[in-house]
Amino acid sequence: MQTTKKSNGVGQELSREALIEIRNMNKWYDDFQVLKNINFSVDKGERVVICGPSGSGKSTLIRCVNRLEEHQQGHIIFDGIELTDNLKNIDKIRSEIGMCFQQFNLFPHLTVMENLVLAPMSVRHLSRTEAESVGFHFLEKVKIPDQAEKYPSQLSGGQQQRVAIARALCMQPRVMLFDEPTSALDPEMISEVLDTMEGLAEEGMTMICVTHEMGFARKVADRVIFMDAGQIVEENDPVTFFDNPQNERTKQFLKQIFEH
Amino acid sequence: MTFDYMAIWDNRDILIDGVLTTLLVSTIAIPIGIIIGIVICMMRISENRVLRWSSIVYIEFLRNIPFLILIFLVFYALPFYGLRLSGLTTGFICLSIYGGAYFAEVFRGGIQSVSKGQFDASKALGLKYGFYMRRVIFPQLYKYIIPPGTNIALTMIKESSLLSMITVAELTYAAHDVNGRTFTPVETFATIALLYWLISTLFLKLTHLLQVKFGVEDTQNGLTLR
Repeated sequence: MQTTKKSNGVGQELSREALIEIRNMNKWYDDFQVLKNINFSVDKGERVVICGPSGSGKSTLIRCVNRLEEHQQGHIIFDGIELTDNLKNIDKIRSEIGMCFQQFNLFPHLTVMENLVLAPMSVRHLSRTEAESVGFHFLEKVKIPDQAEKYPSQLSGGQQQRVAIARALCMQPRVMLFDEPTSALDPEMISEVLDTMEGLAEEGMTMICVTHEMGFARKVADRVIFMDAGQIVEENDPVTFFDNPQNERTKQFLKQIFEH
Repeated sequence: MTFDYMAIWDNRDILIDGVLTTLLVSTIAIPIGIIIGIVICMMRISENRVLRWSSIVYIEFLRNIPFLILIFLVFYALPFYGLRLSGLTTGFICLSIYGGAYFAEVFRGGIQSVSKGQFDASKALGLKYGFYMRRVIFPQLYKYIIPPGTNIALTMIKESSLLSMITVAELTYAAHDVNGRTFTPVETFATIALLYWLISTLFLKLTHLLQVKFGVEDTQNGLTLR
């Protein structure tokens, strides 16, 4: 079904490189429509930042990409696999997509290292030694190799979020989703997390990032998407987006953000 | 009025047997009840409609009838449908399924107390349902379920006294027996009250150790309540 769709028009040019494609997607919570006719795709290696006022549906949108939320209409296709109720597809897609949350969501009863090796051992069937060496590699990458034996609550918020990034990376995902990764952090810890994310971007990781960090968006994003009331209102490269926004709503939003 | 200690002492064998039977019924019914509780709870939170609704029927039925009526139904009514169980078997079964309904609700409450983000993170990592329930969610439950679970187990020990109504020679039955022989109701029932108190207190000490064990682990592991 999806292959015929792919070949007729809209998708053809995009689908060659597109890693994630969302077409005509709609989602409701009961009677309330949270996402309205969403169309966008993310190419391999592309960094997309999604911004917008709270309640605009941006978190819901990226939570649909790995099916933490279900969409009711339209198509979400990851690397040629369409997200449906098929549990096998869902498991496969989730193991290829890494995600970081606002609240970190580390497993509090496990040490940092146990947090890191849990999924690689269970899903990728690595041995403990293999998984731990992968774990150490990524702990070094996020610059906290000496915290492996600590429990999450013994770390600062910034460190916890970096562990969460490392935990996602240990699965060697092809895309990373970030759901407001710095919103729960104290100001002085934000930059250490953003630095880590920038590092990832430089290595060519495909990223979709919901954030209010406009500096990060300007510096790292290939494309900025602005959402309001469940719709994608504007989609542009960062220079145009910030310096010459087209939509009235976008202008208003940017004005409010940069006023302070 | 004098307190007739000899009436108790002379019939100590009957009372000791009663204590042992009460302990036997409880120590078997509590673990089985916990297992039933886990199964029913998993059905209760399942996305499968049939499983979920049958678990709701199970829980609501058992929580909303008196325990005495449950044992009467099994002991006196089932024989009409060709199922005749001994008093003791009835006791094991009824106490287990009765406790199971309450345990199921306690476990469900515990699972709902674990932050939703733990489920999100587990799913996002691609972990399978059974795996993350076992390795991520269950280990975080103890602090939520041990205190209310203790209450249920304690209730089960005390409710087992109702089994005396269907000829199970547990502690209350033994007291009736002794009282019938000696007509010393004050001495007899005061004694078994004390014995029930002892059993319950010992049991509480046991679960307290459990609580301390997991409580201590809590601070070591730095579990944080959210």
